[in-house]
Amino acid sequence: MSNLIHILPVSLVLVAAVALMLMSMFENKFNTKQYIIVSSVVLILTLILSFVPFGESYSVKPYDSIFNGVLIFDSFSNFFNILLIGGTLLTLLIGENYFQSRSYFKGEFFSILLFALFGMMMLANANELVTAYIALEIASFAVYIMVGYNTDDSKRVEAIFKYLVLGSFIGGFYLLGVVLVYGATQTTNLTEIATFISTHSNGDLALVYIGLTLILFTFLFKVAAFPFQSWVLDVYRGAPMIITAYMASTFKIAIFSFFLRAILQDMGTMIDFWDSIIYIIIIFTLVFGTWLAVTQKIVKRMLAASSIVHTGYLLLAFIALGQNIDAAYATVFYLIAYLLSALGSFGIISHIISETKVRVTYDDFKGLAKERPFLAAMMTIFLFSLAGIPSTIGFIGKFYVFTEAVNSGYSLLAVLAIIATFVSIYYYFKLIAMMYFYPTSEECVSNDFNDKRVSTYAIAFLAIVTIIGGIGSAIVFFIPILNIDTLIDFTQIAIQSLFIK
Amino acid sequence: MSADILSFIIFLPAVVAFGLMITTKHIETVRNIAFLTTTVILALVLKIYIDFEPSAGMQFVTNVPWIESYGINYYIGVDGFSLTILMMIAILIPTAYLLLWDGRTKGYWINMLLVQTGVTGSLLALDVVLFYFFWEVMLLPVFLMIGIYGFGDKVFTTIKVTVYTMLGSLLMFVAIIYLGVTYHNEFGAWSFQYDSFTQITSLSYNEKIWLFLAFLSAFAIKIPMFPLHTWIMETYKNAPTGAVFLLSSIMAKLGVYAVVRFLIPIFPEIYVEFSSWFVFIGLFGLVYFGIAALMQDDIKRMFAYSSASHLSFIAAGIFSLNAFGINGALYLIIAHAIATGALFLLVGIIHDETGYKTIKDLGGLAKQSPIFTTIFAIMLFANVGLPGTNGFVSELLIIFGIYEFNHTLGYISALTVIIGASYMLWMFQRAILQDRNGETLKFRDLKIKEIVGLAPWVFLVFLMGIYPDIFIDKFEPTVTHYLNDILHIGATK
Repeated sequence: MSNLIHILPVSLVLVAAVALMLMSMFENKFNTKQYIIVSSVVLILTLILSFVPFGESYSVKPYDSIFNGVLIFDSFSNFFNILLIGGTLLTLLIGENYFQSRSYFKGEFFSILLFALFGMMMLANANELVTAYIALEIASFAVYIMVGYNTDDSKRVEAIFKYLVLGSFIGGFYLLGVVLVYGATQTTNLTEIATFISTHSNGDLALVYIGLTLILFTFLFKVAAFPFQSWVLDVYRGAPMIITAYMASTFKIAIFSFFLRAILQDMGTMIDFWDSIIYIIIIFTLVFGTWLAVTQKIVKRMLAASSIVHTGYLLLAFIALGQNIDAAYATVFYLIAYLLSALGSFGIISHIISETKVRVTYDDFKGLAKERPFLAAMMTIFLFSLAGIPSTIGFIGKFYVFTEAVNSGYSLLAVLAIIATFVSIYYYFKLIAMMYFYPTSEECVSNDFNDKRVSTYAIAFLAIVTIIGGIGSAIVFFIPILNIDTLIDFTQIAIQSLFIK
Repeated sequence: MSADILSFIIFLPAVVAFGLMITTKHIETVRNIAFLTTTVILALVLKIYIDFEPSAGMQFVTNVPWIESYGINYYIGVDGFSLTILMMIAILIPTAYLLLWDGRTKGYWINMLLVQTGVTGSLLALDVVLFYFFWEVMLLPVFLMIGIYGFGDKVFTTIKVTVYTMLGSLLMFVAIIYLGVTYHNEFGAWSFQYDSFTQITSLSYNEKIWLFLAFLSAFAIKIPMFPLHTWIMETYKNAPTGAVFLLSSIMAKLGVYAVVRFLIPIFPEIYVEFSSWFVFIGLFGLVYFGIAALMQDDIKRMFAYSSASHLSFIAAGIFSLNAFGINGALYLIIAHAIATGALFLLVGIIHDETGYKTIKDLGGLAKQSPIFTTIFAIMLFANVGLPGTNGFVSELLIIFGIYEFNHTLGYISALTVIIGASYMLWMFQRAILQDRNGETLKFRDLKIKEIVGLAPWVFLVFLMGIYPDIFIDKFEPTVTHYLNDILHIGATK
């Protein structure tokens, strides 16, 4: 029983994905709304199941005779699974309006979405390089397909091909890396590789280092760090809005979950070896991302470009891992903060364009505050959070990341990151200025908005969480459980479970 | 209850603002409830003022963990410095409401309430991160007010003021984190309280200078000190009256307050070592902004320069290293807040009624509006520092302070007061008294509501000018203690 509860969420998602695929054969019988309801119910069930062992510190390998140690179930993977399921669920709910307004979202789309989730959850549980690759590719292929879903947009072909070709290409690097590591160590199990590294001198480790560095490139590609970021703008631009939100937030978390596990649990020495590489990458990621974001005229592309900058902040916490473990908490916390604010901001845009189709450039946002004050207010909250303005969770996330970076001795990088933050205020506030300071442009006026629907409630939920995460409840509401510390405490439990042997 | 009263004062406006935001659309209801809130706060602050024990140091302290994993506390309290300014804010805001009474929208009042939370929060915060939190938050409503209700090239103005203040704040943010990490490395525990930071000993001289400058940049931009002042002209000219009032009378003062509260105690040696530079910069700013004010034709820009000029004088007083200077600076903070606040609001009325902003378009207002002119004149004289007004007492104290610091600079500072008198009186003569413009004939006199709003200010101008002791006694012990600590530390290190 106890073993079953651990693998149940992942299995349930897989079963639901297959079931939805079968359902989609009967296209006439079900409409999009029913698919959304079915997938949401499954996700809520999964979420509840995942919460059963939540908050405890544990690390188990259930059914080891079958899985042979390739999968590991601990508080860490549980924590990330909850985030991934939550992210997917929120994507579904926020996109409810968008999915129904576009004819190309048929039943199989929801099956693919669940397959993507399945791959990501496996990735968070993977303890072995090849398993991780398979999980990563399951998730990636699902995302490739979803990127190309937008049949209304001629950009989709460019988007899907760019992403597919580059993604597969970088996957080749990963496999080459695995081969080299295997050649040196005769194993692909993370724990055994770690043992090999710690018991051998540097001379024997050349192949392992090269192999793992190739794997690092895959990681950098997937999180869109410099110099592997060139796909981001076009892919995010061509993909359906809600998929962009999904990729920017949830998918990124899954990637980080595996690499955090690999680095923290087993390969702490690697981060020292990569130190100067990542150092330079962070500088370029921040500078380049900022430059890209400043020059964009389309809001979606601006958010996409700014996600590169956020990758830079995340890597800043990531590099600090080498010096102290607290940086891991900062990384995870920032991931959550970014998940909330990115999902919220992309989600609002997708909600808006599901009715009007024109709100894509800065100018199209003119006068939004007059027409739909609550949407504008929520967008403002998310933009504040992205810019790291106090009273939002984004500020706390940035505070953690920068503090840990300075604490680990990366003061100059922290200063650079602060400068990037400063510039980011420009492009985020520009959008706020558009919404509030200009009158409505003529062609966008339309009064038949229906804002009382699931999408808006889901976005409002995100906005409230963003605020509560930023001020905590101890001061104003005097509810101890919702305090800022609660989240970081759970993060600590999750990270600590990696060290249970 | 007595401990939570400060939290209540801080958060009441914000809670009311959010409540109003979602419940009602009726502008008059919003305004009346907002006004009521500020008067409730005024009553509470008066209670604190009476209960406050001048010689007892920090009082009404609340210190509970906020972000425990990084030792950040919700740490607030009030001492002589903050009490004085708290009192000032509590009196100024409700009376300003009376002058802004008609023709505003719902968002205007909600933003005014939110600003009040921001300014009182940053005034009372004793944890540096908490302070930063409120420091940033208080800017956001002003940002919206300028952008939505401003005049002229308002979007550019908004972006400019945001960029300026954010740049300073973020530099301070780095410095805060750096200090926190240094404290952590030295003592093995996280803490961001200002009194923890004063215990840090492991910083090198160079580090201290950089950190000092980072903090100073945030405060100097807000004050504004020369040469970081270039944002205020555009802003004061294009911002709506309420925002100008908030920026000039309240937020600028918080910049000075933050220097006293955080910058000097954390870096006493740097303060002592570079004080002559800052006194000099202060006096230079005083002269520079004064001359610039003489040359302005736009009345709001003129007041912007005049405000900057006085604030430079306050800064010079703060850096003069003695009780005269700091007492005088604190006193001038209040005196200037009252006088400038009133003048900006009165100029706002001129602008709303006539549409004119330049001095040469106006003229002859005195005939239509004797009460307006009288109050305008009183505030003007208070601003110039005529004997009998509060401006006189404070300027005299600062001049004493600077004289004690350095005799030559003392003489110079005494002479600079003439500049202030000349641009103010010249403007008064041209814009208000001189009779030459037929178009201002329609100008109305003050309404009863506005007179009621301004009456306490006028009263305070004279009360503070004639019996300064009843106010100075409240904060002088704090200043004396404070200076003993600082100069003692500064001398031994």
